[in-house]
Amino acid sequence: MARMAGSDNESQLIEQSLSGDPEAYAALVIQHQAMIRAVTFRMTGSPEDAEELAQDVFLRAYRQLAAFKGGSKFSTWLCKIAINLSLDWRRRESRRDGIHSKWAAEVISENNPGSGFPDDLSRRVQAALERLPAKQRAAIVLTVYENQSHAEAAKTLGCTEATVSWRVFYARRKLKKLLKDLPHEAV
Amino acid sequence: MKQSELDSILKKARLPEVPEESRELFPRRIVARLKHNEVQSPHARSFLPRLTWAFGLAAGVVIAFAIGHWSGRMETKNLTASDSLADLKLIRETMAMFPNRVRAIVQDERGLNLVLSDNTDVPASSPIYVRICDGKQCSSLVTFSGQEIQIAGQKLTVLSQPDGGIILEGNQFVWSSSEPVYAARKLNIEAKNLGLKTM
Repeated sequence: MARMAGSDNESQLIEQSLSGDPEAYAALVIQHQAMIRAVTFRMTGSPEDAEELAQDVFLRAYRQLAAFKGGSKFSTWLCKIAINLSLDWRRRESRRDGIHSKWAAEVISENNPGSGFPDDLSRRVQAALERLPAKQRAAIVLTVYENQSHAEAAKTLGCTEATVSWRVFYARRKLKKLLKDLPHEAV
Repeated sequence: MKQSELDSILKKARLPEVPEESRELFPRRIVARLKHNEVQSPHARSFLPRLTWAFGLAAGVVIAFAIGHWSGRMETKNLTASDSLADLKLIRETMAMFPNRVRAIVQDERGLNLVLSDNTDVPASSPIYVRICDGKQCSSLVTFSGQEIQIAGQKLTVLSQPDGGIILEGNQFVWSSSEPVYAARKLNIEAKNLGLKTM
């Protein structure tokens, strides 16, 4: 079966994984773990939750591997699973703990000042992302960080392209307000 | 701040470093879980007894109902505190972004959602704000006269009167801003004309 994977090697690894070879799947995990960890971290803001979600992404992907028909890149397909699991996670967390995005952002910025971020700009940006509603954050993660077009992001999020454009537009507006005091000249 | 400047700031943001040990262990953990059959192989078929599924489903329904009931109360509080539809600038800019296509901007328990017409066939008129609470949760929207909208489990048509009054026509009730006490099924309804000029 012809699948749209990143390389011939990747296609081969997918086929081997489908044949029940976990080591081949481990190789796919190695190739894509950085991207998936980045997505789940940007969506959750917590290294522990991001790690756990990233594991869930790869386990879910393995279970659904036969359904990957190659209509998109394998990385895009994985990213879709990551975003959807992250959105489900956010819903669960909100219900369980009554987490409000503002509260979450404050926890990051106040209780845990460094949170392992390499610099203040990185910490501020993540805190600002946390202030966005989850669907808007997902739209920014996909279009800005994963360089997806609005059409691709719409497929990932299961909504129309116009909805993605609107979410990105609205998210940018909020982010500009939240990050306005960061030095522009450094950009 | 320009869009390009914002994007540049966003892209400059780096993530906390993942320890090398964690990166190396990560694929091994996945493989270990695969080998321990925590996950069915891609081609495996489920042979779990139907009774187990039925029991799980029943338990899920009960838990979901309990959580839904509880979270519904939470959402009511959150929506009251952060009703984005009070932001007239957002509404104006959204209308400008999709001229004659915005049927509604809805805020409910799923967040903020945009309802667009496929065609540019939404007549220009002043936007109308509607908020409906059913005792468990509240939903609000901004829409235009003549639009049929689904909100809070109700399908209703929103109509603006020449005197600025609002009429909401649902399947089983009619509500008017001039006589707001006659809301059906103990619905608490608010509606007002926002008086913005459409583009």
